[in-house]
Amino acid sequence: MTQRHRLATGGHVDRAQRLGFSFDGRRHEGHAGDTLASALLANGVRLVGRSFKYHRPRGIFSAGVEEPNALVELRSGARREPNTRATVAELFEGLAATSQNRRGSLAFDWMAVNGLLAPWLGAGFYYKTFMWPASFWERVYEPAVRKAAGLGRASGLPDPDHYEAAHAHCDVLVVGAGVAGLAAALAAGSAGARVMLLEQDFLLGGDLLNDPAQEAWRSTTIAALAAMPGVTIMPRTMAFGFYDGRVIGAVEQVADHLPEPPPHAPRQRYWTIRAQEVVLATGAHERLIAFPGNDRPGVMLAGAARTYARRYAVRAGETAVLFATHDAAYDAALALAEAGTRIAAIIDPRSDSAAMQRAREAGFTVRAGSVVTGTVGGTVLRGVEIGALGSGSRGDALPADLLMISGGWNPAVHLASMAGTPLRWDDALRAFLPGDSAWQRSAGACRGVHGIGAAAQDGAAEGRAAARAAGFAAAAAAVPLPEGPAADHRPFELWEVQARGKAFVDLQDDVTADDIRLAHREGFIHIEHAKRYTTHAMGTDQGKVGGLVGAAVLAAARGEPVATVGMPRYRPYAAPVAWGAMAGGEVGKHFQPVRRTSLHGEHDRLGAVWMDAGLWKRPAYYPKATDADAWASVKREAHAVRERVGVCDVSTLGKIAVEGPDAATFLDRVYANTFSTLAIGRARYGLMLREDGIVFDDGTTTRLGPDRFFVTTTTAQAGPVMQHLEFHLASAWPHLDVSLASVTDHWAAMSIAGPKARDVVAAVVQGIDVANEAFPFMAVADCTAAGVPARLFRISFSGELAYEIAMPAGYATHVWQAVLAAGAPHGIEPYGVEALGLLRIEKGHVAGAELNGQTTAHDLGLGRMLKKKGDFIGRVLAQRPGLTDPSRPHLVGLRSVDPNRQIRAGSHLLVDGQDQGWISSATQSVVDPGWIGLGMLRDGAARIGREIVAANPLMGEEVPVKVVTPHGYDAENLRVRA
Amino acid sequence: MSAPEPTHPLAAAARGHHGATGGAALHVTFPAREIVQVMLRRGQDNALAAAMRAAFGIDPPGPGATATGSGVTAIWVQPGQWLLTAPRSSEGALATQAARAFVGLAAVADQSHGRTTIALSGAAAREVLSRGCRLDLHQAAFGPGRAANTPIAQIGCLVHQTDATPCFELTVFSTLADPFLHWLIEAAAPLGVDIA
Repeated sequence: MTQRHRLATGGHVDRAQRLGFSFDGRRHEGHAGDTLASALLANGVRLVGRSFKYHRPRGIFSAGVEEPNALVELRSGARREPNTRATVAELFEGLAATSQNRRGSLAFDWMAVNGLLAPWLGAGFYYKTFMWPASFWERVYEPAVRKAAGLGRASGLPDPDHYEAAHAHCDVLVVGAGVAGLAAALAAGSAGARVMLLEQDFLLGGDLLNDPAQEAWRSTTIAALAAMPGVTIMPRTMAFGFYDGRVIGAVEQVADHLPEPPPHAPRQRYWTIRAQEVVLATGAHERLIAFPGNDRPGVMLAGAARTYARRYAVRAGETAVLFATHDAAYDAALALAEAGTRIAAIIDPRSDSAAMQRAREAGFTVRAGSVVTGTVGGTVLRGVEIGALGSGSRGDALPADLLMISGGWNPAVHLASMAGTPLRWDDALRAFLPGDSAWQRSAGACRGVHGIGAAAQDGAAEGRAAARAAGFAAAAAAVPLPEGPAADHRPFELWEVQARGKAFVDLQDDVTADDIRLAHREGFIHIEHAKRYTTHAMGTDQGKVGGLVGAAVLAAARGEPVATVGMPRYRPYAAPVAWGAMAGGEVGKHFQPVRRTSLHGEHDRLGAVWMDAGLWKRPAYYPKATDADAWASVKREAHAVRERVGVCDVSTLGKIAVEGPDAATFLDRVYANTFSTLAIGRARYGLMLREDGIVFDDGTTTRLGPDRFFVTTTTAQAGPVMQHLEFHLASAWPHLDVSLASVTDHWAAMSIAGPKARDVVAAVVQGIDVANEAFPFMAVADCTAAGVPARLFRISFSGELAYEIAMPAGYATHVWQAVLAAGAPHGIEPYGVEALGLLRIEKGHVAGAELNGQTTAHDLGLGRMLKKKGDFIGRVLAQRPGLTDPSRPHLVGLRSVDPNRQIRAGSHLLVDGQDQGWISSATQSVVDPGWIGLGMLRDGAARIGREIVAANPLMGEEVPVKVVTPHGYDAENLRVRA
Repeated sequence: MSAPEPTHPLAAAARGHHGATGGAALHVTFPAREIVQVMLRRGQDNALAAAMRAAFGIDPPGPGATATGSGVTAIWVQPGQWLLTAPRSSEGALATQAARAFVGLAAVADQSHGRTTIALSGAAAREVLSRGCRLDLHQAAFGPGRAANTPIAQIGCLVHQTDATPCFELTVFSTLADPFLHWLIEAAAPLGVDIA
C-alpha cells in the first residue's frame, strides 16, 4: 500500500486524505486530488491496458482528456463503465478499476499473438480479408473480430443512475479555466457581464497548477470570480460541441467522482448553453513523435510527466530520457529532476538552442542532432535507443524506465473549428491555429499564445472584448494578471523517426506511419479517406495527440505540405459523452410523455388493458375473470353493443372549434364535401384530402351556429389536421376571417351505442327530447348530462343506434358513472378500442389502417362524397390518371372460408397466384362468427363473391378467403336510424 | 340537482414533500382557473381593445406580455390571440362574459378544462425550470408579467412569471399535465419540493 513514487511535498494532492482503490483486484492507495492515473503511477503501476488491435502493452501516455491508452472499466455491476480515461477519472475511496481488452491477465494477454501477426494485420486488413463469402460477415467474421478487437464491455444492465438535461444562458461563455480562461472570465465578469466559466477538470487553473509560484494568483482569482454574483463557475464540465448561433453543448460530471450519486442527484447533467459571446480558452494538447516502439509503457508526453511531478507530486520514472523538439519541453526535465528522477539524457534533433545551453549549464547530458530510434523492454520500458538524426537505423540503447517525448503542441481548436472557424497553418508552431471568426474568440494556447504571462494577457483582452460585444460597454477596470517566463514552443519539424519497427501515429487505434503510407499507396490520399481507411484519429481521443502526425506522414507521402493536406473535419463530440447523459430523463416509460384522458382513472378501476395510440393510453378491453382470453373480452364487449348497449371513451378524437364569418367557406375548401349547406344543429361526415389527392383524414363536423362549427378528427391525425388547417389559413387564404381553437383537451366525450342507447341517454340527459323524430340521426344539441353542461351528438361508428355525449373534461368521470348507473338495468358494458375496431370492421367503416396515406376516396368507396362544384384541397391532383385508374385496389370485405382460420392485417391478397392487394384490418365477427376483415383489392367490386388467398409469408400462412361487400352488416342503416 | 365540482386533472397526483429533505426550496400548487382563448376577428383590433378595457379593465397585451385587471389576466399567446385567466368562479362564467363582451370582435373558446395551471414558487424556481425550459428566465431577460410558450419535457407549456419571488405559472394541456408534473418533480427532487 506504499506510494513509493509519491513525493514528500508539493502538488495539489491532500496527503491527509488517503483513498483506497483497486486496479485489477489489487489494492492501492492514493490521495484526494489524484486521478486514477496519477494514483496508479504513484504506486508504480505502469502497464494499464492492451491496445485495440495488436493487444500490445500500453501505459499512461498523457495527463488529461487526450489520453489514448489508459482506458479502463470503472466500478462493477450495473454501474460498470467502460473506456474511461484513467487520466481524467477522479479518485475516490473504494474506486474499483479493471483493465480491458485482454484475455487472461494484463501482463500475459494471449491475444498479444495478434502482435506477431502484425505484418498481415495492417490498415484495411479486415476490409480485404473478410469479404467472402458475404454471408459469413454477419455470422462469423464480425462477431470474432469484435471479440478480438475493441474496447471495454458495457454492463448490459439498466443504468441505476439518472441523468438530467439543463439549459443556461449567459453574456459571455468561457470554455477552459486555465490562465487564459480565468483571465477572460475575470475581465468579462468585472465588466458586469453574466459569465459562465466551464472547466473539464475538477481543479481550475490548467497549467497554473504546475507552478507553485502561480498559486497566489490562481486562488485569488478563483475567489474573486466566486464572489461575483454574475459569474457561474462550473468545474467537471466538458464542452463537447459548438453549434449554430453560439449554442454550446457540455456535460457536467455531477457525481462521477463519488462511488454513487447522493440521493436525488443526477450522475451527469447535459447542458445546452446559449451564449451571446464565446471565449474559447481550451489550451493545447502535446503531440507525439512517431518512432519504433513509441507505444511502450513508460513512453509519456513530456508535459504529462511534468504535470504528474508538479501537480500530483508523482515521479513517473526513476531514470528518464527526454526527447524534445523545442525549448519549452525542457521544463519537463527540470520538473522530473526536482522530483528526484535521474535524467539520463536529453535527446534533441536540433543542433543548438537556448534551452539546450541552459540544460548543459545545469549539468544535464544533452545529445544534440539526435533522435530516439526505438525502445527496448517488455511490458515496461527498459531502455531508449538513440541515433543520429536522419541515420535511419536503430541506435545504442540507454537504460531508462521513462521516455518523455514532445513533438510540439496542437492547439485545441475543436470547438473553434465546429463553429466554422477556418484553420490556418502556422509555420513556426507547426500547427493549425484558428483563423478569424465572428462566432468565437480563441485565447491563449488554443490559438498558439503560450506562456503564463502572454496567455493571461490574451485571455483578459478577449474577455474584455467579449463583454463589450455583449453590450457591457463600461470600460472594466484593469484586472490583475500573473507574470510568467516566456516559453518557446516552436518545434523542429520532426514528425517521424523512420527505422525498423512499428511507429504509431494513433496509439488508440493501432495505426502506424506505415499504415498511412499504405493507405496512400492504395489511393486513399485525401485526409478524410485515409482516416476512414486506417481508422486514424477515430478513437475516443479523436487523434488529439497523433492526428496531426498522421496528416504529416500522409503529406510527406503526397509530397505536399501539411497545410495543404489539412486535418479531418472536427465534429462533435470533442471528447466522449455517455449515452445516459444524452438520453437524460427521457428513458423507459418516460421516453415520451403519456397522454391520459380525463376518464383514465375510471378505466383503471375497471381493470382496462391499455394500448398506445400515439401518446395516448386507451383501454384496449376490460377483461373479466370469466373471460377465457382477450378475444373473449373483446367479443363480450362487442356483443353488448350489438345486442344491448355499451359505452366507450372517445375523448382522444381531435376537436377543433372553427369560427368566423368565413368558417363555412373555409370548411368547403378543406373538405372534399360541402359544409356550407349543413343545417345548424346537424352533423355531417367529412372527408379531407391532401394536396396530392390522397385521403388525409375523416370525421364528423357539426354546425353550432351560422359562423360556428365543431370539427372532429381521428385520434392519430388530430395534430396534423390542426397544422394543415392553420397552414392553409395563414398561407393560402389569409383573407378568410376564421379562427381555429384546438379544444381536444377541454372536451371529454363518450359514445353510447346499442339498441338500448336511447334508454340510457334519456335517463342521463336533460333538456332534449331524444325521441327518434325529435332528435334524428346526425342531430346535435346542447343539454345537461347528469346535471353538468354537455353536448349530445347522434352519430355512430359501430353501426348501431348511438350517441356521443361531450362535456367539459372535469365532469367526465361524473357523467361516465351516471351512464354506467343508468345503463346497468340494460346490461351496459364499457368497451375498448379492440371492440370498437371489431364493430367498425363488421360495419365496413374505414379507419387509420385504410386511410394509410396511399388510398383515394374512390379506393375507399367514398368517391360519391367529392363535391362536383367548387374547388377543394386535393381536387386537381386526385384527377391524375394514376389515382383514377379503375384497376386500383378497392375497399372490399373479406371472410375466412374456414371460420376457424385466422386472417391477419398485412397479409397479401393473391388472385390466381398474383398479388392483387392486401388486408388492412382483420377481426372476428360477432354477428356471423368467423374471421373477417377489410382489404384493398384490385378490381375489388368485380371480385365480390370470389374465393382468393390471403398469404402471410412471415407467418407461413395461406388462408382461403371470400371477397364480400364491406357493408354486409345492416346495409340499409336501419339500426343507426332506429 | 346542483352541478358537482369538476375533477382536477391532477387530483390523483401525490401531495406532500418530494425529493431532498431539509427545508423545501420550492412550492407547487394547482390553482383552479378559468381559461378562455380569445381570437381576434379581422380588423377589430381597436374595437376589441376597447371592449376588453370596458369588460375587464385591461388593454390586450403585446407579444411576450401580460396585463392584469380586476381579477382577470390577459396573456398574449400569438398575434391576435390571448388567453384570459381568472380564479374559477362558476362553470363557464368567464367564457360567457368574454363571449358577450366580444360579440363580433373575437371568437371565444373556453379552455378551462383543457389547460391546467401549475404554480411553482421559491428561490430555486429558475434553476428547476432550467432542467427543461430553454427560455432565459434571468431577471435581466424575463420578469414579472412576462409570458412565453415553449416546449418543456416535450410538452408545450405557457410560462408566465407572476411575481418576483419568483413565482411561475406553467399552463399545459390537461391531458399532459400528469407527465409534466412528473418531470417537474424529477427536476426539483435534488432541491426538494412541496406539493400542496
